[in-house]
Amino acid sequence: MLTEMPATHHTPFGTPRSRRDMLLSAGAGFGGLVLAHLLPNSVLSGPTPNPQPLSSKTPHVLPRAKSIIFLFMEGGPSHLDTFDPKPLLKELSGKPMPPTFKPVILAMGENNSPIMDSPRKWKQHGDGGLWVSDWLPHTATCADDLCVIRSCWTNGLNHSGGVCQMNTGSTIGGRPSLGAWVTYGLGTENENLPAFVVMEDNPGSVINGPRNWSAGFMPAGYQGTPLASGPEPIRFLASPKGTTDGEQQLKLDLLKQLNQKHAAERAGQSELEARIASYELAFRMQAEAPDAVDLKDETAETQALYGLDQKETQGFGRMCLLSRRLVERGVRFVQLYSGAGSKWDAHSGIEKNHGGLCKAVDQPIAALLKDLKRRGLLNDTLVIWGGEFGRTPMSEKGDGRDHNPYGFTMWVAGGGIRGGRTVGTTDDIGLHAVEDRLHVHDLHATFLRVLGVDHMRLSYLNKGRPERPTINEGSPCEKVISG
Amino acid sequence: MDLPCCKYALFLATFLATAASSLADDAAKPTPEQLQFFEARVRPILVASCQKCHSGKEPKGDLSLDSRGGLLAGGESGDVVVPGQPEKSLLVEAINRTSIEMPPDKKLPDADIATLTEWVKLGAPWPEESGGNGPTLRKSRGKITDEDRSYWAFQPVKKTVAPEIENDGWSRGSIDRFLLAKMIPEGLRPAAEADKATLIRRVTFDMLGLPPSPEEVATFVNDSGPDAYERLIDRLLASPLYGERWARHWLDLVRYAESDGYKQDGYRPSAWRYRDYIIRSLNADKPYDRFVQEQIAGDEIAPEDPEALIATGYYRLGIYEYNQRDVRNQWNIILNDITDVTADVFLGMGMSCARCHDHKFDPILQKDYYRLQAFFAPIIQRDDVPAATPQACSDYREKMKTWEEKTADLRRQIDEIEKPYVDAAAKAFIAKFPVDVEPLFSKSESERTPLEAQLVRLAGRQIIEEGGKVDFPKKLKGDEKTKWEGLKKQLAEQEKTKPLPLPEAMMVSDVGPVASPVVIPGKRKAEEIAPGGPSVLDLNPLEILQPSTSLNSTGRRTALAQWLTRTDNPLTPRVMVNRIWQYHFGKGLVESSSDFGRLGQPPSHPELLDNLAADFVECGWSMKDVHRRLLSSAAYRQVSHGPALDESATKDPGNKWLSRMTVRRLGAEQIRDAALSATGELDGNSSGPGSDYASSRRSVYLKVLRNKRDDLLDVFDVPDGSSSIPERNVTTTPTQSLLMINGPWMLARAKALATGIEREQSSANKEKKIAAVYSNLFGRAPTGDESANAMKFLGNDNSKERLIDLCHVLLNSNEFLYVD
Repeated sequence: MLTEMPATHHTPFGTPRSRRDMLLSAGAGFGGLVLAHLLPNSVLSGPTPNPQPLSSKTPHVLPRAKSIIFLFMEGGPSHLDTFDPKPLLKELSGKPMPPTFKPVILAMGENNSPIMDSPRKWKQHGDGGLWVSDWLPHTATCADDLCVIRSCWTNGLNHSGGVCQMNTGSTIGGRPSLGAWVTYGLGTENENLPAFVVMEDNPGSVINGPRNWSAGFMPAGYQGTPLASGPEPIRFLASPKGTTDGEQQLKLDLLKQLNQKHAAERAGQSELEARIASYELAFRMQAEAPDAVDLKDETAETQALYGLDQKETQGFGRMCLLSRRLVERGVRFVQLYSGAGSKWDAHSGIEKNHGGLCKAVDQPIAALLKDLKRRGLLNDTLVIWGGEFGRTPMSEKGDGRDHNPYGFTMWVAGGGIRGGRTVGTTDDIGLHAVEDRLHVHDLHATFLRVLGVDHMRLSYLNKGRPERPTINEGSPCEKVISG
Repeated sequence: MDLPCCKYALFLATFLATAASSLADDAAKPTPEQLQFFEARVRPILVASCQKCHSGKEPKGDLSLDSRGGLLAGGESGDVVVPGQPEKSLLVEAINRTSIEMPPDKKLPDADIATLTEWVKLGAPWPEESGGNGPTLRKSRGKITDEDRSYWAFQPVKKTVAPEIENDGWSRGSIDRFLLAKMIPEGLRPAAEADKATLIRRVTFDMLGLPPSPEEVATFVNDSGPDAYERLIDRLLASPLYGERWARHWLDLVRYAESDGYKQDGYRPSAWRYRDYIIRSLNADKPYDRFVQEQIAGDEIAPEDPEALIATGYYRLGIYEYNQRDVRNQWNIILNDITDVTADVFLGMGMSCARCHDHKFDPILQKDYYRLQAFFAPIIQRDDVPAATPQACSDYREKMKTWEEKTADLRRQIDEIEKPYVDAAAKAFIAKFPVDVEPLFSKSESERTPLEAQLVRLAGRQIIEEGGKVDFPKKLKGDEKTKWEGLKKQLAEQEKTKPLPLPEAMMVSDVGPVASPVVIPGKRKAEEIAPGGPSVLDLNPLEILQPSTSLNSTGRRTALAQWLTRTDNPLTPRVMVNRIWQYHFGKGLVESSSDFGRLGQPPSHPELLDNLAADFVECGWSMKDVHRRLLSSAAYRQVSHGPALDESATKDPGNKWLSRMTVRRLGAEQIRDAALSATGELDGNSSGPGSDYASSRRSVYLKVLRNKRDDLLDVFDVPDGSSSIPERNVTTTPTQSLLMINGPWMLARAKALATGIEREQSSANKEKKIAAVYSNLFGRAPTGDESANAMKFLGNDNSKERLIDLCHVLLNSNEFLYVD
């Protein structure tokens, strides 16, 4: 059942404000727990029934995609060595930055360091003639699916603020992440799996930790769930060691019996019934989640496509393949971290650093795009690539690059977005975004719009302030969406 | 525009004008025809020709033409429209280019001028900006009106008297009479009093955050004295466990944490002193006015009192980014955060909107945000002031002097070797700061403005950290290294005789007697904003008394502390008694307990709220008195469930009128502490540095790390320390269920409980053991059915594993997690 997207505050998992809220709030977690069968009909027949917190909702505008896969290169990949070639760097190499470029504040204060050329070999790819460097040969074969945005900028000068803003819109923690907003706005299409899933290549390492997928001031039910591969993809999904299935069943049966009696004596306290149901839901997940992450029914061809047969690519390849399986099953928002723990942060030795990381992600990403496409899923899925910022044209320590929040590249694919083209530009040395500048808020507004969400109409009342996903700023970039 | 269309517009406008000539009044609702005229003819002109400049965050001439509010508020040149009177309206003059000329590049077509003129004549009808029954946008930008001042929360607290109620067989005091008076017209009756076992469990969890012991339950249930309940309240109020429970409410409000947040999430080894200060203050029933004053201005009002100094740790609870080179911006973030939290916590007013613009709904001007911020503008972070009495400090200095004299030569030699390296590291590091900060380091202290001194201090934290990172064993070579190692060894010997350091705490003081000027960012005409409360309460800035020069402080925060705790402050006492009410009853009389503004809810019982607030101030701001009053009410003692409540539940599902109590889930710390307590594992060590998550101490004594939280506390909605939390979310999620039934922590509690029972009752039969489990976890005996069921579950198996499973199930049960 589709319900209207929340335009104002309701407290779906939260402290009940009214009995109806309470009844409707109850029990939701990963899936919108439909409680209707537990409740007397009269309760749901109020004048304006609140939506189930996680049930699927009607978008504001016609959606172009249903899900997002966000490929987050944590630490800040260099746009100057991947998608934004700057011939002038060769000319200026070894010289200080010309005074015609506006000086900037840099994390490591490398303002006066000389310009460093990119030793990459560049070629145009696809019908659109998109420039892609030789670090990403597989991605280059998907050039006609990529819309490369070269004019991104952010306020986050450091990793912490940058990653936080790219996820939550603010450099300071405490706000809901984009995935949480999407989950709040659109719900999920599979109640037995988390609506918003996070995977890291180095689990537990991403900067600021769970704050990046937190629900901020919204109830925790909208937060992202870390997912691992293997028999226990979600924490504590498996019965305790040494407890047989039969014993676990007996325990659950007794628990249910006790809780039902307790609830019967407290008729109308739906939170109690919701907790009974949450145990049941937990065990439906126990059945479905391991299946979702079990790759053995994937063909050898598919596994090889993602590079699962190679040491360098199997880690991120597995995450990309899992992402496809999850969006296929109705998961709304999947976020993958490559280089969790700021591994893309090449202050020195960028050749080795980026060379290795590009190799690790290139084939898996291309495989994901191709696999989604051949299964007819790419149109329904928005794939986003990028990091928290880019890197400077100036060198650091002779062979690295400092953080560059003033201009960097991200790309989007799928969701009906026309590929094989670029949007926006940076200046001639790739330091500042100049044309069609897109702040993180604009990017978020754009991503939301592709899902059919109007960033100004989705709001959540927190301490008297109607909060919106992009903090009332930014606007969707039509050039990206419909260009 | 062609002629027929123009004619049509004029015709329509004339028709509408005759039909509704009285609608010039701006309060009048536009008719549908007028709105159609606006949408069809007027809005397109505004969008095409005006809004390009006159809209958005920084409209030209400070005039917004994208809303009726903006239109009526006018701009830099004053009012632009006098509804109904085009001849007096600047907008009409401008489009006719008789005075100023708008649009500047090209005169509008005559037809458009005619349309706009007619529209003004009609009273400038414009659709409502916010739909439905919600609050409407404020129209008077930059101004405070009498209507604003008349809003209930800004009115003085009234001395109210509880109504007398005929045939009132229920009320125990005035709280109940206020409540009953509201129940009667709603057709509600109060619920019966809960039984004693329920009461002691409810009130013990509420006041101490722990379940009563089986012995305490038995004692109370068997106490037939008429004042048994009152004596129970007294016992709980006197318990030191009270402060450990209620401190957590306050810590939520001030977004307490013991780590920096951000990437490194550095641990703050002395942050816990603020937590202990809160616990001590609550246990001592420190009057709330003093409690507020110490936190806001302890360093100014009682500079010799270590407690008051530790209290200023209030300003040190926000996040801090250890490697942020944009120092100026980080300082702004810190000040904004303090401003937001202070408004939330003490005033119960969300002011963060006003950081960028006047509050859209409440009379909080943008200027008010900076008036509040101006109190904090002079602060600096202090980690160098010992949290000790002057006597202790001078004793320490005395002993230290001896030690320093003894080691002077040694230390000088070490310093001679180390200094060049430290200086070089610092110099290289300073060069990393941006051009607005780097030169400040080469200025002498007297050359720096107060703000520059503050920035140097903030940047200095990074330099100190960097200086400490010099790796001498690696840097030094040859003889110098040998010498250095020898000296360090000697010093290490001497360290053993060094006097024990004084306690450290995180504090603030002012940068000096002069504050850095506060201006509204981005305003072209920047004028310094003087410190003051919200303009709606007083348009004038607050009078600041310069403290004695020895204090080297501005006195601004003392003024704020005194203003906040003035007995006639309409917000402070109302906000606080409402919070206490909320924690006892589940929700406040004003449900939005940190937002007393128009987006929040009005009080359900305004007279009761005022009665409590007035009483609070009159009784010397004693929080324990408020607890006693609330807990003693008949309302608090009502049952929360049962068939007799069906009517109450149907008529008042949200329990707004409090004709019953509500079943409530335990909070995160209560769940953890109750499990440890019921299994006999709770470590009663109080105060001191935070413990690791594996500890068995009460949750309030666990480390509070922003980026890495305890699994159990996290999943049960403990706040993340990023902003003030007046009311926690209470969620029910499968993640909780998985953690409880599959996670190792709760299973370990089950093992501990079963092991204890096996040990104490090794020879007892199964029924006895089952009874012991029930008694420990629920404070009651199992019913016959329950016992039989548990027996069935245990089966013929005498193994401890089955008993552990039984304990585990009961620890997962709703009876354990909820309180009636």
